[in-house]
Amino acid sequence: MSTNQPAPPIDEVGALLGRMRSAASPVRDVLRELHERLSKDDSGEVATYIPELAKANPGWFGLSICTVDGNTIEFGDVSQPFTIQSISKAFVYGMALEDRGLENVLAKVGVEPTGDAFNSIVLDEISNRPFNPMVNAGAIATCDLINGADHPERVARMLNMIRTYCGREIHIDHSVFLSERMTGHRNRAMAHLMRNFGMMGEKFEESLELYFQQCSILVTASDLAVMGATLANAGVNPKTGERAISADNVKYVLSLMLTCGMYDYAGEWAFRVGLPAKSGVAGGIVAVIPGVGGIGVFSPPLDAKGNSVRGVRACTELSQRFGLHCLATGSGGNALLEALTARRR
Amino acid sequence: MPKIISTHSFRGGTGKSNTTANLAVLTAKRGLRVGVIDTDIQSPGIHVIFGFDPKSAKSSLNDYLWGRCRIEEAAYDMTEGCIGQVHTGDERPRLFLIPSSLRTGEIARVLREGYDVAKLNDGIHELVEGLNLDVLFIDTHPGVNEETLLSIAISDALVLTLRPDQQDFQGTAVTVELARRLEVPRMFVVVNKVPEGIDQDLLREQVEAAYQCQVAALLPLSNEMVKLGSGGLFANRYPDHPLSVSLKRLSDELMTS
Ligand SMILES: Nc1ncnc2c1ncn2[C@@H]1O[C@H](COP(=O)(O)OP(=O)(O)OP(=O)(O)O)[C@@H](O)[C@H]1O
Ligand SMILES: [Mg+2]
Repeated sequence: MSTNQPAPPIDEVGALLGRMRSAASPVRDVLRELHERLSKDDSGEVATYIPELAKANPGWFGLSICTVDGNTIEFGDVSQPFTIQSISKAFVYGMALEDRGLENVLAKVGVEPTGDAFNSIVLDEISNRPFNPMVNAGAIATCDLINGADHPERVARMLNMIRTYCGREIHIDHSVFLSERMTGHRNRAMAHLMRNFGMMGEKFEESLELYFQQCSILVTASDLAVMGATLANAGVNPKTGERAISADNVKYVLSLMLTCGMYDYAGEWAFRVGLPAKSGVAGGIVAVIPGVGGIGVFSPPLDAKGNSVRGVRACTELSQRFGLHCLATGSGGNALLEALTARRR
Repeated sequence: MPKIISTHSFRGGTGKSNTTANLAVLTAKRGLRVGVIDTDIQSPGIHVIFGFDPKSAKSSLNDYLWGRCRIEEAAYDMTEGCIGQVHTGDERPRLFLIPSSLRTGEIARVLREGYDVAKLNDGIHELVEGLNLDVLFIDTHPGVNEETLLSIAISDALVLTLRPDQQDFQGTAVTVELARRLEVPRMFVVVNKVPEGIDQDLLREQVEAAYQCQVAALLPLSNEMVKLGSGGLFANRYPDHPLSVSLKRLSDELMTS
């Protein structure tokens, strides 16, 4: 910048200073140390059920935090694209709420955590609803609720929804999509079963396609942090100022993430980490610190429950270190916000 | 004692680099491990005052910012030339310089692509830890830009230089305001190149009224400094000169703050 350029206007100055504060934040040291240490943990196995996922480098590890004022602190492979997989379920559920309203969605998909596996073919015996939108059956039924005149329009609307959360153009990985579709016999069976019970409509086959597509969207750890921050920020993307979901519906999405977001580890996660979160089989995890920001982690090796090993460890440590447990009374996430803007002493 | 001290001025040529280099040497001579980093990536220059040949630099700050080396690999021990012989085993005093690259391509790349200022922050802290520095001086590019603001944000003390010049007066107000908003713990306003015969009390009063903060030093305009033309360390060359005496006093004040 030339020396005689006038000072930028005041609101821009605030944003600039905010960026500088986060660039100078002592949290960077914490994150860098955490990233360095967890990089050495090479336990866990990369998912192999389709060849595209098996190709992932087990060393990939990106860690990103985005605050509700749009400041980002991140380390490692934060720009490495990977497929969003099950993480999409939380966001598509939010979209179904927007499209159909709470009661109509509840009529088709429950909100009850289940001890069964994510791919179990179990429906609620009384209502025939899938237990919740975070298991495959529930996610497929949720997909059926996405509005649109025809299939292309539904795909476009869904991509646009994810784009609004990320604040950038996003794409579907077509080879992952084709693999998911070719090998997704179990998901196909569930769709037919739910159709049989009248829980899915006439377009159920297209909805299944849409489900395979939503799982194949490419995102990065940086994106996940911004997506999390958008939910943390009452539905408004803090980088772009664009609304992705109404503030009213955010709480429904977050409570499902808290109770059902981490597969069979959900209970212990809510207990130990205490953050609404969702993980995916490609190694991504998004965690939300309500009112404070989002955490995005990507690292492909998974533990026995199907969650990213480094991702679980990173979120657990961050939560403990900064007191982020959302049910903790007292400081809550303030310690992190303070640390983010604190001067390094 | 402040760990990180940066020197700024709103306009160019106020004497940042010469003041910083001399303060660094005077500070090291107190028996401290001192580093000097040139974050003026667009127009580096402080290495000249230390008599450092950029061609002898295998790595520079630029290499660190592009991820080509660790920041300590871009630090050069200047103790012997600037302070004198120190036993090899002695950890103190020490003076290290982290230069910026003078290669046209490197400067062009920074102008074209910019860089992650957060990475500069990481590097500065790695440097302080890795070299076990007592004090790190940051020399900066004039005016308001990202690395300037970053160095203010991470500094324990800020040395603001200006000349007795109306343009400097006005512009410095901007830096003072930004520094306040970034909550810099200590601010040292230094009026440099003060010509003989000027009413020093009045000058001091004017500056203090304008920025609501104390003037830490009035440094005289010196013919010898002009003639030296950044060709060496003034305080070493003319240790008894009033300018050197004032610089020494300023370094004392900085270190005891
Ligand atoms: N007290 C002084 N008396 C006379 N000349 C001085 C004095 N201080 C600095 N100078 C001269 O002013 C010129 C600019 O000094 P210097 O390079 O240190 O300024 P700077 O603020 O670092 O410049 P830039 O903004 O370009 O980085 C040099 O030629 C230097 O010798
Ligand atoms: Mg200079």
